[in-house]
Amino acid sequence: MTGELADIWPLSPLQEGMYFHAEGSAPGADVYTSQLVVHLEGRVDPSAMRAAADAVLARHPGLRASFRRRKTGQPVQLIARECRAPWRETETADLTALAEAERETGFVLGSGPLLRFVLARTGPGHALVLTCHHLLVDGWSMPVLAEEFFGHYLGADRLPPAPSYKKFLAWHANQDTAAARTVWREHLAGLDGPTLLAPGSGTQRPRQLTRTLDAAPFTELARCAGVTLATVLQTAWAVLLGRLTGRTDVVFGSVNSGRPAELAGVERMVGLFVNTVPVRVRIREAESFTALLARVHRDRNSLLGRDFLGLADIQQAAGAERLFDTITAFENYPAPKVTGSLGELRVGAVELTDAAHYPVTLVAAGGERLWLRLDHRPDVVPDAAAGALFDRLERLLQAVASRPGEPLARLDILAPAERERVHTPPRAGAEPRTLGALLGEAARRHPEMPAVRENGTELRYAELDALANGLAHELATRGAGPEDLIAVLLPRGIAQLTAVWAIAKAGAAVLPIDPELPRERVRGILAEARPVLGISEAELASGLDGIWLDAVFPARPEGPLSLARAENTAYAIYTSGSTGVPKGVLVTHSGLAALAEHIRAHAGIRAGSRTLAFASPSFDASVLELLLAAHTGSTMVIAGPELYGGPGLAELLKRERVDAAFLTPSALSSLPATDLGIGTLLLGGEPLSADAVRRWAGGRRLLNVYGPTETTVFSLTATLAEKDPVHLGEPIPGTGALVLDGALRPVPDGVTGELYLTGERAGIGRGYLGRPGLTASRFVACPSGGRMYRTGDLVRRDDAGRLEYLGRADGQVKLRGHRIELGEIEVVLAEQDGVAAAACAIHEGAHGGQLIGYVVPEDRMPGSERLRGGLERRLPYYMVPAMFVELDRLPRTVQGKLDRERLPAPGRAVAKGRAPRSPLEHRLAALFAELLGIEEVGAEDGFFELGGTSLLATRLAARARAELGIEVPIRALFEASTVALLAARLDEQGETEPPLEPVLELRTDGAGEPLFCVHPAVALSWCYSGLLGHVDGPVYGLQARGIAEQEPLPGTLAEAAHDYAERMRVLASGPYRLLGWSVGGLLAHAIATRLRELGERVELLALMDAYPMRAHGAALGDPDVGIARLARDMGFTPAGEELDAAGAARMLTEAGGVFAGLRAEHIERMYAAYLNLNHIARTHEPPYYDGDMLLFTATRRAGEVPASYTDWKPYVAGDIEVCEVDCAHAEMTEQGPLAVIGARLAQRKGRA
Amino acid sequence: MTNPFEDPDGSYYVLVNEEGQHSLWPNFVDVPEGWTVVHGEDTRDACLEYVERNWTDMRPNSLIQAMEDS
Repeated sequence: MTGELADIWPLSPLQEGMYFHAEGSAPGADVYTSQLVVHLEGRVDPSAMRAAADAVLARHPGLRASFRRRKTGQPVQLIARECRAPWRETETADLTALAEAERETGFVLGSGPLLRFVLARTGPGHALVLTCHHLLVDGWSMPVLAEEFFGHYLGADRLPPAPSYKKFLAWHANQDTAAARTVWREHLAGLDGPTLLAPGSGTQRPRQLTRTLDAAPFTELARCAGVTLATVLQTAWAVLLGRLTGRTDVVFGSVNSGRPAELAGVERMVGLFVNTVPVRVRIREAESFTALLARVHRDRNSLLGRDFLGLADIQQAAGAERLFDTITAFENYPAPKVTGSLGELRVGAVELTDAAHYPVTLVAAGGERLWLRLDHRPDVVPDAAAGALFDRLERLLQAVASRPGEPLARLDILAPAERERVHTPPRAGAEPRTLGALLGEAARRHPEMPAVRENGTELRYAELDALANGLAHELATRGAGPEDLIAVLLPRGIAQLTAVWAIAKAGAAVLPIDPELPRERVRGILAEARPVLGISEAELASGLDGIWLDAVFPARPEGPLSLARAENTAYAIYTSGSTGVPKGVLVTHSGLAALAEHIRAHAGIRAGSRTLAFASPSFDASVLELLLAAHTGSTMVIAGPELYGGPGLAELLKRERVDAAFLTPSALSSLPATDLGIGTLLLGGEPLSADAVRRWAGGRRLLNVYGPTETTVFSLTATLAEKDPVHLGEPIPGTGALVLDGALRPVPDGVTGELYLTGERAGIGRGYLGRPGLTASRFVACPSGGRMYRTGDLVRRDDAGRLEYLGRADGQVKLRGHRIELGEIEVVLAEQDGVAAAACAIHEGAHGGQLIGYVVPEDRMPGSERLRGGLERRLPYYMVPAMFVELDRLPRTVQGKLDRERLPAPGRAVAKGRAPRSPLEHRLAALFAELLGIEEVGAEDGFFELGGTSLLATRLAARARAELGIEVPIRALFEASTVALLAARLDEQGETEPPLEPVLELRTDGAGEPLFCVHPAVALSWCYSGLLGHVDGPVYGLQARGIAEQEPLPGTLAEAAHDYAERMRVLASGPYRLLGWSVGGLLAHAIATRLRELGERVELLALMDAYPMRAHGAALGDPDVGIARLARDMGFTPAGEELDAAGAARMLTEAGGVFAGLRAEHIERMYAAYLNLNHIARTHEPPYYDGDMLLFTATRRAGEVPASYTDWKPYVAGDIEVCEVDCAHAEMTEQGPLAVIGARLAQRKGRA
Repeated sequence: MTNPFEDPDGSYYVLVNEEGQHSLWPNFVDVPEGWTVVHGEDTRDACLEYVERNWTDMRPNSLIQAMEDS
């Protein structure tokens, strides 16, 4: 701080918010700088310029501010009486670099002035670079500064006086915040979550991109719609955000000038006025842009006059921690009127640089050209993404300018490459062939190759073909042909394989049924599908309706003549429906050849290779297994039906030297991590984790294969190497993949949409057997023609255009207003180190829904902190589970899908491990318990595991600061969330201090003027904490000086009162509300009088059983009775009168209570203050107060000095209202009396 | 993101293509080329009921034709 202080100001809410962010930033990364660069030509007089800079600082006290946080945490701005402007003269060839270096050089907020002037000689001319911390100025202030600067430079003494920023602080304090909060709450009601564009908030300094467009179409559009250009841009931004986030209810921030028109001279003020308020836009795709403009305009008008409310207040009113991560600013402040000739000096271009801390900021300025700037934090929105975002905005703007009346649904923001991809038909695949034809060809091409091995039995292709022909003739004889379903109820094995071949050769369709299915389900399927025939074994088919044949018939060299076409049904597979009733999917032959050829080429399987038959017969992967083997002439090794994975499967793979296998990731994870010797793994059926890829991709081919049953087995495949990110890859030939939004438009790359598959001549199936309605709702018209299958899977394209799987669309749940895709969390959780499988569910508990993560560990359960950390890096906070539960395995449905219903409810994490030990642990545990609304908290219980949210964490920090006098940084709470860890961490940070500072923040949040509670003789004002439950709004305790550290004690009570009045003026701007008990009452009366002298308003002066002492000649007591007397006044009963400070400290600690943290040195200083207070109170002659007084009198006065309200009459000009409280003087701060007092205060406040 | 085919309160059409295949279709999206509105707009349930009644053979028309010819 330079020099003497002229004043101490509070911070405006905006300054407070910015200060909070700025002090939390790493040095140099504090983005809050504003910069003005003025190019100068002609002769420059540096010393006159420097004098001009000093003059500007002299005019505006706000420019001389530095910022400190009081020990109580309350920030204040200290205004230096006078200081010179930091001034530097230099030479540079690279002005841009100089300006950037100036911006990058941070400010130390605690030492002003927070601005710097640099006069740089730039070769031919000069440039003046003014860099300011944003706490001092906003964009609108800069032109004012520039004008005044050059005014002074030209020797003008005629500048009008500059109105002080302090006037604004006063104006702000007088606004009706409660009404504004209500309006905002209503405006934001029903919002179901924040609109977030970036994956995180970012830490890097924003980079800037600028573009200019012809402004005419937009000004015209604005004029026709009767709105401002800013509204046009904001509305376009809203539409863009909707497209990019998939939301129809979007919110972003809008920066407004924040300069109240009613404040005289506000346009000449210098300071931080700008405010960022939310803009909420609900988008209806059927509406036109023009109609939306009108709506946005109306909404804006309804909020006029309410936008002074700080964003933090608005968010609190809306009950949201965060609403948006993008903001827009329309810079319509005037260009400084300094351009032109100033004597011998010519002022050229003026550049203004401003920055905000949001991931994305859109800045616009009107004129002949529409000037746009996009600021983006590169760590969360990289350059390329920002460029693409800008491109999309530009395309959208062009579209709305040319077709403002069209429905929004028709406006396009796609990049040309994205558009092209949508309209490119799928690559053609292999010519369609029927399954029968493919199998027949295999037998012709590789008759002598072994086709199948089962328990040492081997069958050549010619043999298998002959067996199948025998059965096929039997089927044909019985009339089976195209579109006839034939059930195969057999376990994996040669008989089952023969049956499938035979059906294909007869041209009929296979209906595979796993004999392992529950009998009822088998009956249900048969009843619905009504196959013309069945093939099974006597044992398995007994008791089932229909005609059942055995698979074994005399071998024949040739099969019957198949009449099947590619468009006929090849197989029908039953899958579980979301409604719980299984549904049969009909898949034709059309895509089989393309699939077989694609997999052959990518899996490196050739004649003589060995492939595994492991899939359940009722899973379509079993079709792939037999098709692939036949197509390549490789040998299928049949895993017995008793094998589900594990060492048995590993052993088979090794013994049989299997080259390629299709496995689900679950089956794979069940295998021991030994060398399987297998060269190719096809993994599918469920999401693949990056972990599995890392673990299994080394030294072999690994294919991620994706495809719903409704398509020909697989639709997308990706070959993944060890370090590749997991993705779904590309569609197989003949199949197309579209990622569409809620209006069936293609989404831009990087945006989540639903996956739709096209290619019905090849890729997608016919529909659901006997379910035309269901079919028509899932196999739907494709916007670019033909049909498409809607998968219900959420995907997005990564930078390289590859599809990433993000979970199920229908796994969507809502938690505390946030929409959450459980599948997405599961995918990320499963990718954490040490996690073999994962699931998520919402469980409703006492504190609302709680997100629970279920983990099947690979080995040992990873720690919650590590899991949480890993997830937090990838997911928004509200998608990070509150707790993790270890499971042996995930509950699954019969079909092998995750059964969320059967995920166990978490037992309440009660007192794991030990109870709290140290006083600090006790206090933290009590605070956890209170905030979380639970009875008991153990030392090892985690705040978040018990249901804590980040909102509650903020409250915890505030309460810990106010009540325990300790700073609990939120970060610390995230990193060490149990009572024990947090206590240990806080201990490391140094001995925690009890709250002994002159100002005790009992509660800082809430609306209205704060209540100041003045300490009694005991010198601390902790006794008022019981009042918090009975009054609203901020409450500060004023405590005696000299307790926290040695300080001179006041010589008179009036001196103390003057000091307290100053403290209060720093904390709040009035009108003031005062309450004091006992000696505190005397002080309160004196403070109120002082405040009136200073011209302040006093709204409330309330005394709790306090009386002028000289009036009735009373002495407070013998000052020499010692520390025991102090202890008694603190509510303790010491054993005798012989008590020293150390003994008192011991006694207080043993007693537990609020005073447990006090040390001997504290007691000594408290005692000194106590004696002094007694002394100055006794000698105090109360001043004359020109207002009203509220006096709470204690009615039980047995043995005490008689006192009456009349004692006050000589010292109070106004009314004295008496309120009797049924208690003794010493009991006034107990719960019962405080309830009475609080109620009365609240009542008065309501009246005020 | 609510899927446009899954809005129980939405208004829908039933579309049919030349293969006789039916499709539910949200009323706020343009009807794609090659498809004709045969029912609606109507509630989702009513549209699905229409499909259940009218799409009795799910084979594409060309296949029905080919199978009859042979």
